[in-house]
Amino acid sequence: MAGPPMLDAAPGSAAAATAPGGDVVIATRDLWKIYPMGGEEVAALRGVSIAIRRNEYVAIMGPSGSGKSTLMNVIGCLDTPTRGQYWLNQQLVSELDDDELARIRNHEIGFVFQTFNLLARATALHNVELPLVYAGAPAAERTQRALEALRKVDLFDRRLHRPNELSGGQRQRVAIARALINDPSILLADEPTGNLDSTTSNEIMALLDRLWQQGNTILLVTHEADIAEYAHRVIHIRDGQVARDEPTRRGRQAQGAPAQ
Amino acid sequence: MALREAFAVALDTLWSHKLRSFLTLLGIIISIWTLVAVVSLVQGVNGYVALKIARLGSNVISIQQYSLEDMTDQKLFRVARVRNRPVSMREFDYLRAHDRLAAQVAASAGRTLNTILKAGVHSMTDVSVRGVTSNSLALASFDVRAGRFLSPTDSRHDTPVAFIGADLAHQLFPGVDPIGQSLTIDGHPFRVIGEASPLGNVFGQSQDGFVDIPLGLYRALYGTQDSLSVELQAPSPALLPALTEETRMLMRNLRHLRYQDADTFGIIGADSLMSLWRQLTGVIAAVMVGVSFVFLVVGGIVIMNIMLAAVTERTREVGIRKALGARRRDILSQFLVESAVLSSTGGVLGILLAYGFTRLAAALTPLPFSLPWLAVAAAFLISTAVGLFFGIYPAQKAARLEPIAALRAET
Repeated sequence: MAGPPMLDAAPGSAAAATAPGGDVVIATRDLWKIYPMGGEEVAALRGVSIAIRRNEYVAIMGPSGSGKSTLMNVIGCLDTPTRGQYWLNQQLVSELDDDELARIRNHEIGFVFQTFNLLARATALHNVELPLVYAGAPAAERTQRALEALRKVDLFDRRLHRPNELSGGQRQRVAIARALINDPSILLADEPTGNLDSTTSNEIMALLDRLWQQGNTILLVTHEADIAEYAHRVIHIRDGQVARDEPTRRGRQAQGAPAQ
Repeated sequence: MALREAFAVALDTLWSHKLRSFLTLLGIIISIWTLVAVVSLVQGVNGYVALKIARLGSNVISIQQYSLEDMTDQKLFRVARVRNRPVSMREFDYLRAHDRLAAQVAASAGRTLNTILKAGVHSMTDVSVRGVTSNSLALASFDVRAGRFLSPTDSRHDTPVAFIGADLAHQLFPGVDPIGQSLTIDGHPFRVIGEASPLGNVFGQSQDGFVDIPLGLYRALYGTQDSLSVELQAPSPALLPALTEETRMLMRNLRHLRYQDADTFGIIGADSLMSLWRQLTGVIAAVMVGVSFVFLVVGGIVIMNIMLAAVTERTREVGIRKALGARRRDILSQFLVESAVLSSTGGVLGILLAYGFTRLAAALTPLPFSLPWLAVAAAFLISTAVGLFFGIYPAQKAARLEPIAALRAET
């Protein structure tokens, strides 16, 4: 199996099915994830097929237990599917081994987590440059790029502060700077505002919006409808399957308007 | 590249958990400390003993009832006790008359246990009382500090005179010039005619607690059954083997030993003393190295334990690093570096302690202690290797963590 996937049109994913292969960043076909649980097998994903094109802003929504976190983990290459295929940038990543997945996570994916997941004992600067450490970049280049990234999220002044010396919003901005440092193909944001108050949430969502406008592809996982509204398209997951895949109001507005 | 990150994390962890690190490292510290200290101790003592033996005279042999081998091996000693006979006065006289290669032939006998010396109100026990010939001074390691040694006349007439060591001068005659004073040895009166210059301690044992009296008088007081020790000095070290051979033949003739019979006496030379000494310290060193090895293993297991705890504590950190692109080997090397840094820090502390210890020993004793560089380098390498070895299992555990499971860890 190589090359751009020929996507079977799932109901509601007409946009994905007609997308030209070269423009598709993420494509999955019939993804299954089955967990053994006390002698029984529980399927968290039951044949998920989705496609996300470059510079899309997509939200995945679903109640807890719906399988959206599992989908997020598989897309983020933190977990491997039991069955099915997953292409990231036309590369079949569902077949890769641990180290190759680590390389993909390093180069292609930028994570933003609900709990920030910053190293507590490292400075903001070091947290941001960490992906570059594993990419093997020289120290001088690392520092320079990390400082640049911090400047972009307005945290240059806080570069030597540790996470516990930063506010929640600042921590999430550090995490976003870290996610972008390797110029990933996709930004995966898992409940990025889950631990933030509404004002700070709006700031973070505005920042993500700016990043989308700058050309980034964003996949947002949330259970809050108003947060999902920032995206242009929502994929509803229920019982491990895609229940609905539809544009948001913003997405419809954008579609209605002529592109560029 | 990620190695620099690993070192930075390792040093940061070590520093932020100073007390825990120190406690963890106790085993390694003690182990390396004893290892390095014992090596430098044995080396220092060996050097010192070699020096002492050389001063005693590398051209001197001693004829005694038992050889060194007999005295240090139980089985050999059981045989020798039946076979060997004490060296007698007659044999001493014969050797003195016929050993043409010997520049000096001296004899002595002595005892230490339960001797009682008194001078006025002062008394001492367990003093080494030695009957000697007047030419013993030529073979002795001490010098005359005041007065004189026993004269040939004293020897011939068994005059009740005594030549005393520095300890006796201090303890029996405090604040008084001992020369001309009298003392009693096990009740018998003697006059002090001379005092030796101090020899100092060897292994905490004073070498200055002795009194020398004429040999004939000694045998009159304590009996003639004890074996003599006859010391023969060759004119030069080159002639020592010839002297040894000649003396052996004379003794064997005197004792009517047949060709196939073993010697019924012992010949002790400086070289046999040294080799015995080496053998003894070798055993001590081997035991101590064994003990420190046990410490090392215990220390290594403690490090493994603390690294396992560290992996559990930092499961989430491992998850974050993996999510950001750390491969298995990055995580593996991070924890390996950490345990190696931890244990080599223990090694360095142990080496520093051993250094202080040898400096202290050098200051308090006449022993020429120094820290052998080879031992220091070996100790450092060993401690690092222990950290690497015992760090393998925890590091593998960390490296094998699944990214999502690690990220979800509640720590």
